[in-house]
Amino acid sequence: MILGLDVGGTQTDAVVLENGKVRAHSKTVNRPELLETLGLSLDKTLAGIDPGKIQRMVFSTTMATNAVVMDKMDPAGMIISAGPGMNPEWFRVGPSYHVVEGCMDHRGTEVMAIDKGQVMEAARAMEKQGIKACGIVCKFSVRNPHQELQAEGWLKDQFVYKALGHRFSGSLNFPRRIATAYLNAALHSLHNKFITSLETTLSERGLDAPRYLMKPDGGTVRLDRSCEFPAQTAQSGPAASVMGALALDGCKGISLVLDIGGTTTDMALVLDGLPLWVPNGIRLGEYRTSIRSLLTWSVGIGGDSEVKVNDGKNLSIGPIRQGEAMAFGGPMPTPTDAMITLGLMEEGDKDLARKAMESVGAQLSMDAEAVAKKILDETTKAMTKAVMAFVRGINSRPVYTIHEVLEGFKVDPDRIVVLGAPAPIVAPMLEKAFGIPCKVPPHYQVANAVGAAAAKVTAEITLQADTQRGTLVIPEVGLEMAIPRDFTMAMALEKAKEALFDRGQAVGAEHDNREFAVIEKEEFNMIRGGYRVGKNIRLKLALVPGLIPDCNCGGEL
Amino acid sequence: MIRAKRKTGLVFFPAFDWAISPTHPEREERLLYTQDQVMEEGLLDVPGIREYRVRPAKYSDLQRVHFCVPDEESMATESHLISAGGCLVAADAVMKKEVESAFALVRPPGHHAMRVVHGNRGFCNINIEAVMIEYIRDVYGVKKVAIVDTDCHHGDGTQDIYWHDPNTLFISMHQDGRTLYPGSGFAEENGGANALGTTINIPLPPRTGEDGFLYALDELVMPLLEKFQPDLIINSAGQDNHFDDPITHMNFSARGYAELNARLKPDLAVLEGGYSVEKALPYVNVGIIMAMAGMDTSTVKEPGYDKHYAPQAPDITNYIQNLMVNLKSQFLTNPPKPHPAKNGEIITTSKKIFYDTDMINENQDERLVRCRDCAGTLAIDSHSSKGNKMMGIHVPKDACPMCQKMAEKWVNEALDDKKFHFVFLQDRTKCTYEVLR
Repeated sequence: MILGLDVGGTQTDAVVLENGKVRAHSKTVNRPELLETLGLSLDKTLAGIDPGKIQRMVFSTTMATNAVVMDKMDPAGMIISAGPGMNPEWFRVGPSYHVVEGCMDHRGTEVMAIDKGQVMEAARAMEKQGIKACGIVCKFSVRNPHQELQAEGWLKDQFVYKALGHRFSGSLNFPRRIATAYLNAALHSLHNKFITSLETTLSERGLDAPRYLMKPDGGTVRLDRSCEFPAQTAQSGPAASVMGALALDGCKGISLVLDIGGTTTDMALVLDGLPLWVPNGIRLGEYRTSIRSLLTWSVGIGGDSEVKVNDGKNLSIGPIRQGEAMAFGGPMPTPTDAMITLGLMEEGDKDLARKAMESVGAQLSMDAEAVAKKILDETTKAMTKAVMAFVRGINSRPVYTIHEVLEGFKVDPDRIVVLGAPAPIVAPMLEKAFGIPCKVPPHYQVANAVGAAAAKVTAEITLQADTQRGTLVIPEVGLEMAIPRDFTMAMALEKAKEALFDRGQAVGAEHDNREFAVIEKEEFNMIRGGYRVGKNIRLKLALVPGLIPDCNCGGEL
Repeated sequence: MIRAKRKTGLVFFPAFDWAISPTHPEREERLLYTQDQVMEEGLLDVPGIREYRVRPAKYSDLQRVHFCVPDEESMATESHLISAGGCLVAADAVMKKEVESAFALVRPPGHHAMRVVHGNRGFCNINIEAVMIEYIRDVYGVKKVAIVDTDCHHGDGTQDIYWHDPNTLFISMHQDGRTLYPGSGFAEENGGANALGTTINIPLPPRTGEDGFLYALDELVMPLLEKFQPDLIINSAGQDNHFDDPITHMNFSARGYAELNARLKPDLAVLEGGYSVEKALPYVNVGIIMAMAGMDTSTVKEPGYDKHYAPQAPDITNYIQNLMVNLKSQFLTNPPKPHPAKNGEIITTSKKIFYDTDMINENQDERLVRCRDCAGTLAIDSHSSKGNKMMGIHVPKDACPMCQKMAEKWVNEALDDKKFHFVFLQDRTKCTYEVLR
């Protein structure tokens, strides 16, 4: 049996899967303390189930997200070597940010050594401030991590944790590398405390199977390996829902996944079972990071969105949620109240719902039923508009080759998968609005928890080989090696695959998890003075998000 | 977090799958390191900087500018259409006021492509700026446009296209034509009979440095712009004046380009040449983008700057000071006198054009109506060493009745003359292009 658990904004969903079927599921209203919520949810879900039968557990938590958004992180210091370019002061972060001399160019050639004196001085300043974790980030360190490694070596007996920029992502983006290293450093001890407590909570309940955390890229990482990259477990909820849609529906064709919650509706696109990724990285609070994530977009329209009448004539839905629907004792009229009034939903206090509708109707001189219909119409319209904007955004992403421009591939969803409590009510309205099939899979209320339970381990590596310099670098695994002048793309691909599978296993992937995608593959001849002096090979490979074999039933879980 | 002071659009199209030939300067690798640097600096994350997706231009976009012989399809590859289309995307972004300025960082370049196109000259087939300008004129109704070409090579193609147009001010700053391809761009080249003084060439000596470029900009270019009062300023942002460029002999730098751009404040910038793909382009482009966005560029510097940049030598400074005295007198204090020909008189000229990339020779005999009311109808009789004989008749946007009548007459004459394999009518008053034979 597999346990999947997803902590949301207001409630926590959990499921137990057995032989590809949902054996148990539960919803728990969140408590102020995350661990208390987790304990309650576990007890509720596992009632009557032998904990020894659980073979795998996956948790999608809000620990990292909340710490970032509420600014409850530990102080972390930063040592930055930037060289010329944008002023590194513009990316200042944390209470102790030090720019030191040093410069690496885009090929990974060291232009100016990193200044040891300044590094040591920065470390002393941090120690004085009582800082225990630091980030070390150099521009172009993904092309040559030498300076970051050198600084780490100089500080080998200092700091509990040192976040080296090149380890988190092989992508080029210095400001995001700085933010990502900072978040990982600032979350490190919090995350360690959290996983220790979680392990205790689990052991107390006799749950000893392998444990995983969900990541925003739709994959998982083994709990004990997650402390190397604590920030990569943030904002995993939307990805859990997408993986749930994949497990419960299969998402063939071009599927738009809509997860309708209380406050927001999250949307994502899945192309023939493969979810789309964001090109650069996730945004966490004010920080733009290089943390890989599924492309999801959140719009402030949900079942509990506040319904208001503006200027005596215009209805507005959301983006604020003031609390629950009035039918459940909330303060303001909501789309949920409209559904109850129209008899589309069984739960909730019908009289309170009707009162909510009457209060809106009075402002528009309409009766309760008519205004409830209008509210649902407007809600559908607002969702439709948001979906259109989401798809338009994807289709206007820049491309850099003639081939891609001419191919002109445009994403045009041919079906919709709707998740979340109001799914069966909203689906027919969306089907009418979009004119494409709109499916509500079984267990749509807890699809997020199913997704967490079913998601495989993911990993990614970036390779750059420069045959003129004679170097090959895979920053994420800290690999740097010499290569001969006649090194080829085929050889690079072999090396990249080897590194990817090793990496996957290191973060908890099963031996048979070898389904990978080549995300980037480029090869350039380097010409100087009319002669070819070498080749520049670039590869990005990933273990793609997918379902573990137990849950891969062609979308009929 | 830093943000752009001016909203800036960026159209980036490195054409990673196109080259003139594998070892040619115009090859796949050209913008690779620029892309690396722009990505690594995180410029696209800066609030206020927006990246746009390119779209290919249509043949009808080229027909506003060119006479392609035998046709557009054989002269413009997909890459040329996308490069030109990238400029159109940049133009739309600015004209629709989504951004204050935009930079089309695209290849292949275009400023050596003239009105008649028989092949590739100086790595160019299609004049992407001109295609953009005529698109802006047709779609957005803009009249007065100034082009400041800061590529190291004389922008002879753009000069040819706007030679007769009094509504387009073309200023080219470049390495003296006596020392570099295409061997033109002297101060005496100052516009056709109906547009005297709206073509201005500033031939700078080899080894011109930061001081010289900025001096020429302040002393001459800015006052000329002030006088002309354009609705739009366009920078043909070639980057081969850089001290590290392998095919030129100038001494400019990334911060110099950034500063020039900050002072010029173009509405639109279009990449032209620049072939120091590794040591100059990444930094020059970062500098230009930041300058357009109104960001402080004082921390932008190429890693080789301290070692390889030598300040401008005093003899060069003297030379440029004297040159400016002469040019200011020619264009500001004593602007060119109107052409002596009578209204309606036909002025004929002949020229030979060499297509260095494709090794084609072209002979042109041109007839222009001397006109005080419009830019004057133009008839170009062109034959190339490939054997193609063409007559192209260009009716300018604001053509007066007399010139429109003349166009009709010339079209009929051309159709009667069996020697022409092709007869084209580019009527800018109606925004039409007709292949009459």
